[in-house]
Amino acid sequence: MNLTKTWKSTAFVVASMLVVSACAVPAATPQPGGQAAAPTPTPLGQEENVAQTVKAGELKPPVLVKPCGDNCPFKGQTVTVIVNAAGEKGPISGPFYEVREEFEQATGAKLNIVEVPFAEHFPKLMTDLTTGSGQYDISVAGAWWLGDLVGGDYILNYDEWYNDPRFPKWDIEDVQPGPRSLLTYGGKKYMVANDHDGQVMYYRRDLIEDPAHKAAFKEKYGYDLKVPETWKEFRDVAEYFDGKDLNGDGKPDDGLTMHLKVGGQGMFHFMSFAAPFVIGPENPNLFWFDPETMKPLVDSPGHLRALETLVDLIQFGPEAMMGWSLGEAWDHFLRGEAALTFTWGDLGALAQQEGSRVKGKTGAAILPGTTEYYNIKTGQWVKVNGINRVGNTTGGSWAGVISKFSKAPEAAYYLLALMATKEKSLIYAARGWDGVDPGRFSHYLPPAGTAKIDDYLAAGWDEKDIRDYTQAYFDNFSAKLQFPYLRIPGTFEYWTALDIHLSEAATKQKTPEQALKATVADFEAITDRLGREKQREIYVTSLGLK
Amino acid sequence: MAGRLFLLPAVVWVLVFSIFPLLYALYTSLHSYRFGRINEFIGLRNFERLFTDANLHSGLRVTLTFVIVTVLVQMILGFALALILNRELRGKSVFRAIMTLPLFATPVAVGYLGITVFYEQNGPVNSFLSSLGIANIPWLSNPFWALVAVIIVDIWQWTPFVFLVSLAALQALPADLYEAAEVDGASPAQTFRHITLPLMAPTLFLILLLRLVESFKVFDIPMSLTLGGPGRATEVYSLFTYRTAMRFFDHGYAAAQGFLLLVIVSVIVALLFRRIGQLYELER
Repeated sequence: MNLTKTWKSTAFVVASMLVVSACAVPAATPQPGGQAAAPTPTPLGQEENVAQTVKAGELKPPVLVKPCGDNCPFKGQTVTVIVNAAGEKGPISGPFYEVREEFEQATGAKLNIVEVPFAEHFPKLMTDLTTGSGQYDISVAGAWWLGDLVGGDYILNYDEWYNDPRFPKWDIEDVQPGPRSLLTYGGKKYMVANDHDGQVMYYRRDLIEDPAHKAAFKEKYGYDLKVPETWKEFRDVAEYFDGKDLNGDGKPDDGLTMHLKVGGQGMFHFMSFAAPFVIGPENPNLFWFDPETMKPLVDSPGHLRALETLVDLIQFGPEAMMGWSLGEAWDHFLRGEAALTFTWGDLGALAQQEGSRVKGKTGAAILPGTTEYYNIKTGQWVKVNGINRVGNTTGGSWAGVISKFSKAPEAAYYLLALMATKEKSLIYAARGWDGVDPGRFSHYLPPAGTAKIDDYLAAGWDEKDIRDYTQAYFDNFSAKLQFPYLRIPGTFEYWTALDIHLSEAATKQKTPEQALKATVADFEAITDRLGREKQREIYVTSLGLK
Repeated sequence: MAGRLFLLPAVVWVLVFSIFPLLYALYTSLHSYRFGRINEFIGLRNFERLFTDANLHSGLRVTLTFVIVTVLVQMILGFALALILNRELRGKSVFRAIMTLPLFATPVAVGYLGITVFYEQNGPVNSFLSSLGIANIPWLSNPFWALVAVIIVDIWQWTPFVFLVSLAALQALPADLYEAAEVDGASPAQTFRHITLPLMAPTLFLILLLRLVESFKVFDIPMSLTLGGPGRATEVYSLFTYRTAMRFFDHGYAAAQGFLLLVIVSVIVALLFRRIGQLYELER
C-alpha cells in the first residue's frame, strides 16, 4: 500500500471539505436595503427572565389502566399502528411509544409501531387496504383521508364500542364542535380523538405592545397598532414590521412568514385565509363545490379577492418562503425573524421549546376576518356588521382509525380510547413536543374550560403565551362560522391541484385569476373521472346537507 | 433437450419480470380506478387523455428541457475531464478518486442535501456567491432557478459516470496511432479530430444512450429537492406519473403514461442503436 499517496489523497479531501465548509459560514453582514428598527431590541433569547424549557420525556401522562395479570382481554393479539415518522420523541408518533408498556400490560396484546414518512403514509395504507392484506390495524390518519377511507369501506366505525365498559372511557362531547365534526362521517364515529388541528394567527407580542412601535405605526397608518382583526390590518402590521430588525441581530427581518412550497401544505394557508372572503352568515357551507352540480366554486370573486390579497401579502415575507415547508417557515418565526404568521398549534408549543428565541413573546389569536364576503348563493358581496370571522379545522387533526381488515379491532380501539382519555390528552396537549394540539374543553383554561394554568406551567409554558394560545384555539373552534372541511374521495388530488396552482400564482407564473381557473379545470377533470354523481352524493353527505 | 433446459431460467426470468408486468400494465391501462380499485373497463380512454392533459404536457416539456441540458453538459464536461486526466499529471489519481465520489451517493440523499446547499438565506452556495459580490439567487423559490438547481445537482452526480467510462475507453485506445500521428507532425487538435473522436464515437454514443434513458426516468432528485415546484416548474414526467399512481391512485392513467414513456425512450434507443451500428460498420 502506498501510504504517501494515501496521505496526500486524504489531505486533499480534508482540504476540499474545509473550503466547502468555509463557504458555508453564514454571511454576517446585514443585507442592503433594510431599515433599522426603532427602538433597537435586545437580542432575543438573551434576556434573563426566559423560563426553563421542558424536554421531551420529562413530563409524562398518568398511567390509567392496571396490568391484567392472568385475565388479559386481548392476550396473544398484536396491534400494528402506522404513523407518520417522527421517532420516539417526535410529534404524533411519540405518545404511542410512551403508552406501549401500559397498553401491553393491561391487555396482553403486543403493540407494533410502524413509522413511515408523511408522504408515504397514505399510499402505503391504501395499498394495504385495497389489497385487503390487513398489515396495519390502526392508521393515525389525516382527517381529509376519510372520504376515501369511508367511501371505499375500508375502516370500521366504533359506535358499538364507545360506551362499552370494557374499554377506557373518553368523552367525545369534550371535543369542541369544530374538531368533533371531523371524528364522524355520515353520522358514525370513525376517528378517535387525538390531535386537533386548526390555524391561528401568531404575532410578536413584544413588538405589538412596544410604545415606540405604537407611535410610529399610528403616525403611518392613522390608527393604533394592535393585534390584527382583519386581513387588511394584518397586511398593515406586516408591512410596518417588514425590513425592521426584530430580533436584535442587526439584520433586517420580515413582516411575516409562510410555507408555500409545493407539497409544503401551502394550500392550507389559502383555505384558512380565504374562508372569511366566501363564508358568512348567509353562506355557511358553500366554498368548494355547488352541491347540486358539483361544479367547482373556487374561482368565485370571493376566492379571487382572497388569492389576490394573499399574493399581495407575500411581498412582506422572505422570497425564500416560496420554497419553504413547515419547518423552515416555523424556524423563521422562532428565530425572531418574522413579526406575524398563521399556522397550526405546533408553533405555539415550539416557541416554548429549547432554542426558541420568542418564548414569552408569542401572542396568538383567532385568524383575522373581513368586513365583507362574497355570497356565492346570491352572487353578491355582503357587508357585515363588525368583522366576519370564520373558525377552521384546517390540517390533518391526526387521529386513529381502525382498518376493516384488522385481526384485532377491539384491541386497536382499546389503545386509541386509552390515549383519548381526558387525563392523557391534557398532558399531550400541554407539552407540545408530541404534536397533539388543543381542541377540547378540558384543554382550556377557565372560564372556557377546566384545565389549570399549573398544568401548562409544568410543561414549560410562559404564562402569557399559554393564555393567548388556549384562548386563540377556543375562539377558533367555537366560532359560529366554521370553514367547511373537504372530506370526499379524491380530496388529496383536489388539494394537490390547488396547491400547485397557488404556487404558480405566488411565483407569478400565473395571475391569481388564471391560477383559480386552472384549479377549476383540474377539479372538473378529477370529478368527472371519479364520477360526478357519486362525488356529489358524498359531498352533500359530508356537508351534512342530506 | 439439455440446451432448452439451460434456457429455461432466462425464459422464466423474462416471462415473470418483463412480459407479465407489461401485460398487466396493459390490462391496468384499459380500466378506470376508484378508491384504489378497478372500477370499470374504459377501453383506450386513458390513452386519449395523454393527448389532452395539459399537466402531462407540462411534465413532458420540463423533462425534455432537463434531458437536453443535463445530458449535453454531462457529456461535454465528463469527456473533457477524461481528456484532461488521461495524461501524466501531478495528483492525477487523487483527482480521479474525488471525481467519482458523487456516483456513490444516493440520489434522494443528494436531493435532500441540495435543500441545504441551495438554501436561499445564508446557504453555502448563496454565501459563497455573496462573498463574490453576487446577489442572492432564489434557487428554490423561483421557477427558473429551481429547474437550474435540479439540473446542477443531476450534473454534479452523473458527470462522473461519463468521465469514468470515457476515461476507461481513452486508456484503451491504441498508443501506436498517436505515435504515428506525432511522427507525421499532427497537431493536438488534428489528433483529437481525426483519431480520438472517431475511435471514441461508439463509446460516447453508448454513454449518451445510457444517460438519455436514465435522464428521461429522473425522479429522485426533483422529488426530494423541489417536489416538482414552484408550481409545476420542476415536475418531471416520472414525478407526474408517480403522483398519478401513488397519490391519486389513478393506476390506469399512470400505466398509460408509462407506455408513452416506453415509446419515447424506445424510439430514442432505436435511433441511437442504429447510429452505433453504422459507426461499428464504418470501423470494420
